[in-house]
Amino acid sequence: MSRKHDVNKEIENEVYCGTLPVLPKERKYGFIDALLVLSGYCIATWSYTQGSYLATLVGFKQLLIGAFLAAIFMLMIYQLPVIMSARYGIDIWIWLRSVFGPAGNKIVTIIIIVVNFPWYAVCCELFADSMENLLGLFGIQLFNGAHIILSLSCVIIGTIIALRGVSTITWTTRILVPLLLLVGVAVVIVGFTSVPMDVIWNYQPELAGDADKTVNYVLSIEANFAFVITLVGGMAEVPRLCKSEKSSYYAGVLGQGAAGSFFVVVGAVMAIAMQYVTGQMVDDPTLMMATLSAPILGLSSLLLVAFANIGTQAVGSYIYGVMLKSTFKKSSYKILVLVLGLYVAVLCVWGKITEYFGSFLTIGACVYAPLAALLFVDFFLVRKQKIDLKSAYELPGHTAYRYTGGFNIVGIICLALGFGFTLLIFDPINVVIHNKILFMLTPTFASFLFTGILYYLLCRIPFIRDYVICKGPDKKPFDRAKTPPRQNLFFMPFIWLICKFITAPYKLKIDKHNMDGIKPPFLVYGSHNSFMDFYVTPLALKPYRANYISELEGFEAFGEWIYRQVGCLGTRKFINDQYLIKNIMKVIKRGDVMVIYPEARYANVGTNSHLTPSIAKLAKLLKVPVVTINMQGNYLQQPIWNLKERKGARLHADLKCVVTAEEIGKLSVDEILSRISKELTYDEYKYQLENKIVIDDEWRAEGLHFPLYRCRQCGRDFAMTSSGSKITCKYCGDSYEMDELGQLHSSSGEIIHIPDWYEWQRGFVHEECREGKYKLDIPVKIWALPNSVNFVDCGEGRLVHDNSGFSLEFDNYRSGQRETLKFPASSMVSIHTEYDYRGLYGPCVTLSTYDDTFFIYPTDESRDVFNPTKIQFATEFLGGLYT
Amino acid sequence: MEPNKEIETRIEEVLKAEKENKIPRMTKRDYIIAAVITAIALIGIIGGFFL
Repeated sequence: MSRKHDVNKEIENEVYCGTLPVLPKERKYGFIDALLVLSGYCIATWSYTQGSYLATLVGFKQLLIGAFLAAIFMLMIYQLPVIMSARYGIDIWIWLRSVFGPAGNKIVTIIIIVVNFPWYAVCCELFADSMENLLGLFGIQLFNGAHIILSLSCVIIGTIIALRGVSTITWTTRILVPLLLLVGVAVVIVGFTSVPMDVIWNYQPELAGDADKTVNYVLSIEANFAFVITLVGGMAEVPRLCKSEKSSYYAGVLGQGAAGSFFVVVGAVMAIAMQYVTGQMVDDPTLMMATLSAPILGLSSLLLVAFANIGTQAVGSYIYGVMLKSTFKKSSYKILVLVLGLYVAVLCVWGKITEYFGSFLTIGACVYAPLAALLFVDFFLVRKQKIDLKSAYELPGHTAYRYTGGFNIVGIICLALGFGFTLLIFDPINVVIHNKILFMLTPTFASFLFTGILYYLLCRIPFIRDYVICKGPDKKPFDRAKTPPRQNLFFMPFIWLICKFITAPYKLKIDKHNMDGIKPPFLVYGSHNSFMDFYVTPLALKPYRANYISELEGFEAFGEWIYRQVGCLGTRKFINDQYLIKNIMKVIKRGDVMVIYPEARYANVGTNSHLTPSIAKLAKLLKVPVVTINMQGNYLQQPIWNLKERKGARLHADLKCVVTAEEIGKLSVDEILSRISKELTYDEYKYQLENKIVIDDEWRAEGLHFPLYRCRQCGRDFAMTSSGSKITCKYCGDSYEMDELGQLHSSSGEIIHIPDWYEWQRGFVHEECREGKYKLDIPVKIWALPNSVNFVDCGEGRLVHDNSGFSLEFDNYRSGQRETLKFPASSMVSIHTEYDYRGLYGPCVTLSTYDDTFFIYPTDESRDVFNPTKIQFATEFLGGLYT
Repeated sequence: MEPNKEIETRIEEVLKAEKENKIPRMTKRDYIIAAVITAIALIGIIGGFFL
């Protein structure tokens, strides 16, 4: 039980670390550990395949140069950016989001896995071959289909090890690598002692008549470049776990350049020796051992090589599993590892992977060379070793790497051109050289240089550089003066269809009163309960199109273009926005309907707020009929304190002309306000009770403690908590059950109407304000919303609220200074509040200037005393909305 | 902890650690050594053409 639990926890932790920055104290690997893990990854039977392939191209001395020096040369360059992984504790797949954009990165990740993972099928094939060959030496003949079963067994065992997590992988490699080195040494000894030393040292391949020695040498260098560069994807996860930049870098260089290359040379020695003895080149160490020394040595090596194949399969599945997990965050690590295993299994069943291995390797190098170049140039020359981590993790308000719909067009174009450039030099499938001069650089290195230089030069062009580097969030203020377009005619059918579809489950009924002969232009004032208002209103106003006033955060959430097309006018809450008035006049002048929700905030407990005379003054200014839309059930369906939808809610709306065009000039402001206020008076719980609307969700009271924060029994503020259908005092235990008709029942049988409790609290806040005792002075977190594009993180600040109003002290991103903004009490009749903003960020209030809306959240320290409802009560009293 | 907050907290810790040099950086000397090794490897590769 405990073992199972530990393994699961280990996997979860590792996957967690695979997606989150690893803190310095969590780093597991010193140089040796990282070297062993990476060596374990590089040492595999494909090294023998590579060695025997090189032996067909060049002599032993050139082979040594290629295997070691070419590998180290390429590794020294392309491994250098891994120091970023060690520095920030992230893998390169997180950082690649800056190079390709988050969406582009997903595509690149999939491409890499598709071109890379066939390596593991080769491993499994070689494992099956070894087993068959050795058993054959002992005279054991296997049945038909045994080969597939053997190769699949390698997949299955490797996948199981990968599922057991990083500790098992680490221990696997700790045992595996030293043993494999021993096997390598044994192969070298057997190889060199079975044949005269000078046979190997002076080995030269038998070249075909038209073969060019220089071309073959370049091909061997190219093979080594391709061999090491295609492993970058698999090795990318390890450096973030290293304790220093140097250890991460040199572990990568030596893991491949020394340990990996050693095994390539071992493979070459084996192949040369076998050719000398038997006249046939082989890439199977077990066969070589059995042939050149004794079957028992073959048997010993078989066990170790089998372990190596399985170990490689395991390490590969683990590394690519974590890589996929960091890209596709919502997917399960286990499922991803199983999918990878399935991919390899399918290739094994296909059975032709060894035949097509060369194609996979070459195509892989065509992708990896430009990728490695982009990593190098981007890190050192373009971003100069600085990455915006919050943007890389796509945190709210950090959109530096969002680029164009999630794609960095520049990075993706360079990758594609780099890929194409390789193919322009050399056709790897038919082995045809198209450009001999560039071929001398090797196709991989030429592509690396081409892509790196191209990307660098492109990033020297100012507008491309601005696009790629994207220095932080957009801080340009929203253009409030911009004339809003009419609601898009082509959108109208879709808007009505969507509204109908969304309101249908709640059986919306719309009643129209005094609306005969009322045609646009006219002004609509609506009650404001939830987002459902925006679905009900268009249906009530059908067939007319309308414009709506919306806070900028809606523009940010859905996109400015869409919001403009559906007819929204952007503004900020509780400011004197003269441009908004001008735009409203433009809407009316062009003969449309203007919809305003004058409360400017959702109802906290389903009851209306007081309205100000300004709405009546606006009506008189516009000189058009005034229509009200009072919507019932919208709050019940999705109250602001818990945004889960209540299926039992029923919707109803009354659309009524309250002031005609003839009356607008004659009636006084007070009279108009009185008529509007009368029609926009509502009580959702009363509506629920009268219409016996049953809302029986078990969680129906969860969140109710946000608006009902004061205990009715002990009188303490911020005392309430809610769970299921109950709201309870944390201190005295006083508890109330919310029934299915929205009424609260105390244990003593008292029935409480929720709005009564809400208003009862308001009285205490008013009293505090009158006595001058009201004061809030707390640390807060602040995000500014300057426009429709993004939020800007302003860090921590201090919010003070008292009888004089609000003051907000923070680091103003516009001036770069620590500043205190003042919001006089008389300037705000109310305040925008949220109880769990976007279901993610918890409670907040907002304060606005003309150019910014500041979303203000409590810190951990102030969370217990930060209640948006109480702040709102005080603001409304001090602003004169309530007396 | 809520995922975004967890990431944010970790990022802040990592950036702080970077400033405090808790993960030892590659020094100028290290870069020079790396460049020398790279140059030697390149010379070796070029030398291979003459074998």
